Amino acid sequence: MLNKKKALSLTAGLVLAGSVLAGCGADKKAESAADGGGNSTSAPAASSTEFTFYYTGSQNVDDLWKTLIPMFEAKNPDIKVNPVYVASGTAAQPTYDKIMAAKQAGKGSGGVDLYESSIDDVTKGKNDDLWDSLSDGKIPNLNNVDQQTMNDVSNLAVPYRSSAVVLAYNSDKVTAPPQTLDELYDWIRANPERFAYNDPSTGGSGSSFVITSIYKFLPEEAIHNSDPSIESQWTQGFDLLKDLGKYVYGKGIYPKKNQGTLDLLASGEVDMIPAWSDMVLDQIAKGQLPASTKMQQVTPGFNGGPTYLMVPKLSDKKDAVYKFLDFTLSPEAQAEVVNKMQGFPGIKLSNMPQDIQDSFKGVSEGYRTFSLGDLGKDINQRWQSEVAAQ
Amino acid sequence: MSRQAKRGLLGISLVLPSFLILVFIVVLPIIGSLKESLTNDGGGYDLSNYKFLFTDKLMRSNIIFTLEVTVISSLLVLAVSYVLAVYMRFNNGFAVRWIRRMYMIPIFIPTVIATYGLMQLLGNHGWASRILYHLGQDSFPRMIYDMKGIIIANLWFNIPFTTMLLGSALSSVPDAVIESAKDVGAGRLRIFWRLILPLTYKTLLVAVTFVFMGVIGSFTAPYLVGPNAPQMLGVSMEQVFGVFQDRQLAAALAFFTFLLCSFIGYFYVLSMIKEEGMRRS
Repeated sequence: MLNKKKALSLTAGLVLAGSVLAGCGADKKAESAADGGGNSTSAPAASSTEFTFYYTGSQNVDDLWKTLIPMFEAKNPDIKVNPVYVASGTAAQPTYDKIMAAKQAGKGSGGVDLYESSIDDVTKGKNDDLWDSLSDGKIPNLNNVDQQTMNDVSNLAVPYRSSAVVLAYNSDKVTAPPQTLDELYDWIRANPERFAYNDPSTGGSGSSFVITSIYKFLPEEAIHNSDPSIESQWTQGFDLLKDLGKYVYGKGIYPKKNQGTLDLLASGEVDMIPAWSDMVLDQIAKGQLPASTKMQQVTPGFNGGPTYLMVPKLSDKKDAVYKFLDFTLSPEAQAEVVNKMQGFPGIKLSNMPQDIQDSFKGVSEGYRTFSLGDLGKDINQRWQSEVAAQ
Repeated sequence: MSRQAKRGLLGISLVLPSFLILVFIVVLPIIGSLKESLTNDGGGYDLSNYKFLFTDKLMRSNIIFTLEVTVISSLLVLAVSYVLAVYMRFNNGFAVRWIRRMYMIPIFIPTVIATYGLMQLLGNHGWASRILYHLGQDSFPRMIYDMKGIIIANLWFNIPFTTMLLGSALSSVPDAVIESAKDVGAGRLRIFWRLILPLTYKTLLVAVTFVFMGVIGSFTAPYLVGPNAPQMLGVSMEQVFGVFQDRQLAAALAFFTFLLCSFIGYFYVLSMIKEEGMRRS
């Protein structure tokens, strides 16, 4: 009996060890296969092309692409899109590094044929000469996009959707929402514990409130400056945030994530929050936020702007990617952007149906695009030690 | 090959898989993070990260906060679980049957869902405060986004397993011992202090180890219901690593947490070795 037991546990041990080793082996194989696929410079098979698309964002971005890609593939049976979803936050940085490293090592585009990211990566890639220049000769639907937006990014990226941080408020309680930043601060002080913004390191809406408050005291052009020498001018803004700490929700409670403050607004614990317009519209539509929720942009505006699609210059499947980009900018796909995730369309509003144009009135304008580069990290760090821990 | 050698080989081959897993999954990463934590900004090696850990106001308050939460949670969990286990061991009736059926339920509810449930229950406008409001009580203490919330969550997560552990230890206390003690006239309290507690003391130690390590390394509940500052070490580690992207400081935090855990683990191992020695002699 004892021996049998021993033999049994021995087998179990070996099986366990074996499966662990096998797991490692399989992983490695998959990795090298992916590498091989990305690095191969041989022409793709004539019958079908498969390109790899890296994108990042919250769950709603993933849902959007999981809808758009099958629509595209149904129309273009000879092209297959291989989507790679990278969870939002710091996980996006490695994708950029991957493209950069592949270029430096002379290995093409590192298996990335299309990449979705913010203005920061567009600018970085412009300096590193990573992105392919796009024109309406290759992508006819680029004509639908505002030419000014294309000029801003030197035609290196396609703005396929955008959203902005706005003030979301309960219109039953707030009849005259603040129009300017100073009015907003007055409102916060006059209505203690009825305003909340989320921990800036956990979500863009809180981060936008913090950055907007800090840069209120700086010259307008500073919002495009990513030079660390500007940090000494932040003190006045941080003092303001420290002072506001006494008046925000729970006298200094900053919920986690963009959703954290939206939950507070939904339960009626606060009456006003900074929030992403697409999240607010989406949750009103689904009934998660009361219908009395309204939005207001202030002047000077919160952060906002397009999300871009970039084609790495060294990708060898550009023709297929161009077709995909053309599809993305078609009114049909843009309607999905609006309906599925309540984003502002990437193409000019005049190309969209009237009801969509109406729903974005007053919200899809007035925001500012901040590009602070790595300074955001320092703001979060200083906020944590000065404002959260005061 | 002699019988002795064969047995020895079998022994080694049985231990080898778990030993290798331990080396690759635990030992090597620890050495790696120790090395990382000693790296300073210039690429050299010194104790600057640890110095920052213990001198920075924010970090120091995080460490103290974590220890407070851990010690309070551990003590409360042990007290509640022990009372529950003793009650279930020496009583039999309607209530005991129901407790026995229900007390494992929290184990089967995913952490995130349970945490959101707690937020719904104990939040500022949650069910608890609404019910109290209708009973005429209009002030409700702040529990969510506070240390109290984390401790309540820890109770929820740790009581079932600890009760199970202590319950099995208590059921191994023979009835005969207790009955004979009663026969010679020992009172209830005396039986508890002189018999039951000494007989289950070892398991109590095991339970402390589990609860302490579970709480000190917890992330989900403190992240969702904890205050912005001070934070528990797990949450702070994630922020330092993911948001501030200071890998060295995060490694120092991780290594410090490991030291705290191994401090408790040391007593656990020590008592195990003592027990082993007693059995052999």
